[in-house]
Amino acid sequence: MNANQGAAVSRPANSVRVVIVDDHAIFRSGLKADLDASIQVVGEAATVEQAIAVIAEQRPDVVLLDVHLPGGLGGGGREVIAGSAPLLGSTRFLALSVSDAAEDVVAVIRAGARGYVTKTISGAEITDAVFRVAGGDAVFSPRLAGFVLDAFGTAPADIADDELDKLSARELEVMRLIARGYSYKEVAKELFISIKTVETHVSAVLRKLQLSSRHELTKWAAERRLL
Amino acid sequence: MTTVPARPPLARSSDRVIAGVCSGLAVHLGWPVKNVRVGMALATLAGGAGLVFYAWLWIMVPTADEAARRSARRPASPIAPAVSQPPPSGPQPPAPAGGYVGLPTKGAATAGFPGTAGAPPVLGTPPLDAGAPGGGPAASAEAPAPPWFRVRSMRYGKEILLGSGLLLVAGIMIAQLLGVDVPLGTLIPAAAVLGGASIAWMQLDETRRAGLVDKTKADQAGGWARLAAGLALVVAGVLVMVSGSGSWEQTWLALLASVAVLGGVVLVLLPWALKFWRDLESERAGRIRETERAEIAAHLHDSVLQTLALIQRRAGNEHDVVRLARAQERELRGWLFQDPGREAGQLSDRIKAVAAEVEDLLGNAVEVVSVGDAAMTEAHEALVQASREAMLNASRHGGGTVSVYLEASDAQTEIFIKDRGPGFELSDVPEDRLGVRESIIGRMKRHGGTATILNTGSGTEVRLRLQAAGTDNVEGKS
Repeated sequence: MNANQGAAVSRPANSVRVVIVDDHAIFRSGLKADLDASIQVVGEAATVEQAIAVIAEQRPDVVLLDVHLPGGLGGGGREVIAGSAPLLGSTRFLALSVSDAAEDVVAVIRAGARGYVTKTISGAEITDAVFRVAGGDAVFSPRLAGFVLDAFGTAPADIADDELDKLSARELEVMRLIARGYSYKEVAKELFISIKTVETHVSAVLRKLQLSSRHELTKWAAERRLL
Repeated sequence: MTTVPARPPLARSSDRVIAGVCSGLAVHLGWPVKNVRVGMALATLAGGAGLVFYAWLWIMVPTADEAARRSARRPASPIAPAVSQPPPSGPQPPAPAGGYVGLPTKGAATAGFPGTAGAPPVLGTPPLDAGAPGGGPAASAEAPAPPWFRVRSMRYGKEILLGSGLLLVAGIMIAQLLGVDVPLGTLIPAAAVLGGASIAWMQLDETRRAGLVDKTKADQAGGWARLAAGLALVVAGVLVMVSGSGSWEQTWLALLASVAVLGGVVLVLLPWALKFWRDLESERAGRIRETERAEIAAHLHDSVLQTLALIQRRAGNEHDVVRLARAQERELRGWLFQDPGREAGQLSDRIKAVAAEVEDLLGNAVEVVSVGDAAMTEAHEALVQASREAMLNASRHGGGTVSVYLEASDAQTEIFIKDRGPGFELSDVPEDRLGVRESIIGRMKRHGGTATILNTGSGTEVRLRLQAAGTDNVEGKS
């Protein structure tokens, strides 16, 4: 119920191949039933090791990845992404979580996930999110947008600033609207820009979130246990 | 060694003739400096006792500056505190403030006080005072303070005991000097046995009283040293008593033999002792784990299991099921993730509480995202009430998930409440009009804020804004 992406997602002609990684079998089967018929679930995994193996074998378009997973070195979803690093160009990761803890979410995003949605999201919304991620875009829930605003601050970047450490005025506007519950389409309408431009801004923010070396980001995430 | 009674910290004053010992002592005892100096001089005439005492104090007592520095960081050595500063906890007699006011070292001397009273927040050995609630001296007395400070009930007991012992020794010596025949051969070993036993037993007692307290290495080392000292004293005393002769060759031989026997016994028993100790430790750890588990189980039973039972009973009613699940999720989340150190009662907490209330009331999810936070003021309370009204409207008329976004900065606070319902026009719902006008728009205006209601095409959004400056001149009362 978070990712209000609207219906304006361009759907690829061929179906999207998805691997679901979650340690709860009930959740996996429920998610499978919820997903659109055009999404083909080609594999499932319950642990870090299984996930890395299945992803390497199936080379899916999108991996629906739980942030918290047993196995491996205890790194959960972050470790799965790290273990699948050679595939990052073709396979995209969408993080799913019940956790509200900022450090979990930020960690998995910084590892390379293209978005983050909560597990309470509806089937239609997660289908949209899968298509969006498969198309190379980022998926921001209002909550993730809130994290970003909290982490980067709500003041726009000066030209002189290191651009990775702050958001531009436009990106801030987009993030604010998403945090307010606007879909990409509504954001586009509100700001008089195209959906494609909104997607560009969101992807830019995602890149900053992943690449920013600002130490406050980690510190902030560790301090901020609940949002 | 521990003959220094705890009063104002005993420190060598900078108001000195030689080393500041007398003036420091005077401050400490609350006597006039002159008396102390005269007394010291007289004592010096008595066989040089005063001189020895003076020298001893000179060596052992820190200057006021040192004392202040030291009290800021309690030494880790178990022996040092008794010498360098009074025991840092326990009831302090009221300081003779008058004595301090006149002193040039007032700043330094009083700076030493926080460290000596109660549990100072800055400690070199945090685990020792982990349980002390940072409060008054009485509290730290019950807390797991280091064992060597734990002789709470007899605050001056040790000192008095030691003092009487020394006096007794002095008395005996004087008696001997006066020609009385004192059976030293029996008295000394008996005293040794007694002293050694009491040292070791005190240790045992304190270890037991320390209970589950984590003890640092230094602490344990001190304990071992005391145990060894006590053991040595007792063994020596018993040996002398048993051998009776008191002749050194014999005693040494016997001592050697007994130490050898003791060593052998220790060698044989050590594995058992270690195993016993480890079992004890693991059992203790297991008990702690068990307690934690029981607490978690109790919580889950009280909350989650009850809710699941309710959900099963109402499985037919989707609305109720969702509502129950949401409420339980909130509760569990709060329990799992809430940072206990965080300051409660902030604006975001209030907004979340109000959102939870609306969720419970109407069953639709209310998602709150907050960025930044602010302390509550009267105007903020009005903002919370206005948001509540807006959430109620959004949930009632929107019929779906309500998105709430709170952004608080120093300059202003903004709250956005958005639903994805059919959208309501003010004119469409006449009976709501007054509610919206009064509870949202009017209330915000009265507190120097603004409220905008906007039909976004795919729902309604209420924007509430409060300038920080507006909190100063509240126009009216709501």
